[in-house]
Amino acid sequence: MTTRLALTALVLSCTAIAGAYLLAFLPGGAPPWAPWGLAFGSAGALSSMMALGAVRGGRIRPVPLAAAVLTFLVVFASFALALVLPPNEGPGAPLLLGLPVRAAIVLYGVGLVPILFLPWMYAASFNADTLSDADLERVRRAGAERQP
Amino acid sequence: MTGWLDIQAGAPAAIRHPAIIGIAVFYFVVVSLIGVWATRRTKSASDYFIAGQGIGIVTLAIAAMASTLSGFAFIGGPGLVYSVGTGAVFLVLSASITNTMGAWVLAKRMRLLGEARGLITVPDAIAARFRSPAAQGLSAVAILVAVIGYMATNFLALGLVIDAMFGTGLTLGIWCAMLVTLSYTVAGGILAGVYTDLFEGLVKTAASVTVFYFVLKAGGGLAGISRAIAAVDAAFLGPWGKMPAITALSLFFVFGLGSLGQPHVAHKFYMLRDPRRLKWYPALMSVAMALTLLLYVGVGLAMRAKVASGVAPALVRADDATPAFVLGFTPSVVAGIVFAGVIAAGMSTVNSFMNIGAAALTHDLPRAFGRRVSDELRWGRAWTLFLSLLAVLVAQVSGTLVAFLGIFGYGLFAATLVPSLAIGLNWQGATREGAVASVATGLGLTLVFETLAYFRVFTLPAGVTVSGLALLASLLVFFGVSWLTRARAASQLDADVKLVMEV
Repeated sequence: MTTRLALTALVLSCTAIAGAYLLAFLPGGAPPWAPWGLAFGSAGALSSMMALGAVRGGRIRPVPLAAAVLTFLVVFASFALALVLPPNEGPGAPLLLGLPVRAAIVLYGVGLVPILFLPWMYAASFNADTLSDADLERVRRAGAERQP
Repeated sequence: MTGWLDIQAGAPAAIRHPAIIGIAVFYFVVVSLIGVWATRRTKSASDYFIAGQGIGIVTLAIAAMASTLSGFAFIGGPGLVYSVGTGAVFLVLSASITNTMGAWVLAKRMRLLGEARGLITVPDAIAARFRSPAAQGLSAVAILVAVIGYMATNFLALGLVIDAMFGTGLTLGIWCAMLVTLSYTVAGGILAGVYTDLFEGLVKTAASVTVFYFVLKAGGGLAGISRAIAAVDAAFLGPWGKMPAITALSLFFVFGLGSLGQPHVAHKFYMLRDPRRLKWYPALMSVAMALTLLLYVGVGLAMRAKVASGVAPALVRADDATPAFVLGFTPSVVAGIVFAGVIAAGMSTVNSFMNIGAAALTHDLPRAFGRRVSDELRWGRAWTLFLSLLAVLVAQVSGTLVAFLGIFGYGLFAATLVPSLAIGLNWQGATREGAVASVATGLGLTLVFETLAYFRVFTLPAGVTVSGLALLASLLVFFGVSWLTRARAASQLDADVKLVMEV
């Protein structure tokens, strides 16, 4: 994935959100499927922004790419399941880890699951992909050369 | 943000329990000692605004968490959960992602820009990226507008809490809050701010984890809480709570992507002693935030369950959820830690805004007009004092005005800073014209639509938030104008900035 691909994904995500917002202006309000634009767009915006930030020299290495893709899949799948599954939150409804199933999917899937992989993938890729001693030295030299 | 204003005078007498007041007094003493210590170490503008680039990674992460989570996380947030159920969690749901995203997008680039250029403010980074005083000036104006609102909101809220605890009266409570925060900020600058943030962050995390234990104990576990609520209000525990799905998802978008435009967090990246330590920033920050947000999620659900099962009366104001729970279902010492946590949350947020507001006036606006202030340390202190007095006056003049100003701070930061800062530092094709147009779009749309909505002249359709619309518009304008002026992109990028963007 290159910078251009990450930017394209970001623009597409923003367009999906813009579409959902435009639907809300229709007489009678947003149709029931309008939230899909926001579910796709918000998951895509965060993932593509992450990918954009992880690009080095126009390319993205495997670990950050996997982190961005996994984030999109986890977030979008959680929102999609919450939109698709029939409501069942009344008395006697089944619980998943103490919460009704759809709420549990969103709260645990989006709110907790990414913590289980994202920070650790960042740390794992840091020395090789994110910032090396040589990079730091080059930046320091460039800064020193710029001083009057 | 404004939700926790409603912890009004007339709070329960139990809040004046000796244990609660004792912990609050202990808290003020520790903060004062940190202020004295930091004052002796603040000798330059670099010390005052970016702690002389001498902060360790654990301190940075906890301090960033503390200034991110204002008093809203302890009072307004649980109140919102109590009112609308799980939908309220969408304001903080993205915290599992934003810390790592921020590390990839901003942390390394900003810290390296600081290394190469000696920058001290967020508008500095925008100016360096685009060689644009106009973008620096416009973003400084946006920061100032939001900062006044945030500071006034937090002073008013702190005044209410201090009045409730010590019986000072609201006016004196506001002035006490301002004077304590100002004393360590104006003397010790961000160095005092960062170390009080560290202490305050630890207090907040301890309070949150402890209260969550009592939430589970009082509610019979999460399953017990869910069953009690489901018996009377099934929609409350739906995936979007009592909000439309489109509204909840819109909040996720704004608070997720908008996290990249919060200057009080981004500015802290300059302060890190060694950029190689950023490796553990997302892990530390994510875990600290997750623990500190347990109270946000747990207390609102537990109070709703207690009301649903008839154990507690319905709350008159949703924002009473946290005070009612800690006073009714936890020991006094825990309640004391929570109220100290509320004060800590407000003061750590105010301190950060005092600092970035003073930097905008001392550093960014003069540079936008081609001028430099000769003694930035002295003027930084003077502007900190000025901003604090202005915010206190605003807080006392009109609660309505404060509420209005406090509403749009987060959205204004997001709409004005995300495109030019977060995307600008990662896309060499972005242009100065795109940056200026996007900051102006975000600033204009936020001010116009929030004002129209506040005075009920025009409201957006259900599900569309002003902050979401303004952020989206500024992003699209940034892309569109940069594309139209793309021929100029390469000539607007200095060699050292280009290197920072490539490594």
